[in-house]
Amino acid sequence: MANSLNTLVSFLPLIIPLAIIQFGLMIAALVHILKHDTYKTGNRLLWIIICICVNTIGPILYFVIGRGDE
Amino acid sequence: MIEFIAFTKKEYMESLRTYRLVTLAAVLLVFGILSPLTAALLPEILGAIDLGDGVVLTLPEPSAIDSWTQFFSNIGQMGMLAVIISFSGSMANEFSRGTLVNLLTKGMKRHVVILSKFFSASVLWTIGYALCLAVCYVYTAYYWPSDVITNAPFAFFSLWLFGEFLIAILIFSGTLFGSFYGALLSCFGAIVVMALLNISPAIQKFNPISLSGDTLALLSGHKEIADFFPAVIICVSAIVILIIASILVFNKKKV
Repeated sequence: MANSLNTLVSFLPLIIPLAIIQFGLMIAALVHILKHDTYKTGNRLLWIIICICVNTIGPILYFVIGRGDE
Repeated sequence: MIEFIAFTKKEYMESLRTYRLVTLAAVLLVFGILSPLTAALLPEILGAIDLGDGVVLTLPEPSAIDSWTQFFSNIGQMGMLAVIISFSGSMANEFSRGTLVNLLTKGMKRHVVILSKFFSASVLWTIGYALCLAVCYVYTAYYWPSDVITNAPFAFFSLWLFGEFLIAILIFSGTLFGSFYGALLSCFGAIVVMALLNISPAIQKFNPISLSGDTLALLSGHKEIADFFPAVIICVSAIVILIIASILVFNKKKV
């Protein structure tokens, strides 16, 4: 257990930026979803679920195919 | 030149407002960070799997080459996918929204549109690629400082060139078909055809896809830089031909 904790700590410089990017993308997508109510495909609930459950790819999919034109 | 600068400016504004810039940079950054992480953790993960009867897979200690192996396979597949999805709509959106009509009727030259699109997409790809390369390089040097990789600059260049080639295909097919899915599918089609051609050893040397697929052989020293020259020449000429063809098609196209 102590060993695996050490491994985890030694990779923190990798894991922290990764988490920041992934959560940043997720929050940006969620804010966009909640601020706009027209979507090219799908609906609000679907995109919220996709953005929260599928990390990285979910928010990007939303911005590419879900985001409606203003 | 003024037209070119103005249109390129508009392209960047569009990339910013459609979140293309942010998402592309984020995906490439994620893969830049993920590659050394996967390389470092893969032995741990496989070691934790018990295949039954106490048989456990053991891998040698990870090294810098594993990190770069992950980098080239991640960027060569998922990174390229991100590029294809980001730039598929580049020409198609202009046709479907009719946003080019105003510019062209005011006397903007048609070839400027194609050249500017290619230029701005290339710059975006170059910046994104440089970013993830720098991130992966820093982490790899931090975790495996003593390992030296041979031929690395050329391998980085060849993957970048393949990305440029995909952008040229996307612009050509986007101009030809005028739709998002047309561009997307013809780019996938081109990759499938190149992958099929790669089965024949005689063609392998000249196939642009080897620029992305064979970089690992280059890093591990199974191939020489000189082996890649035919593919590089073919790839560069294909880019030039595709751009010229796009301009010719676009000249005849009804906007």
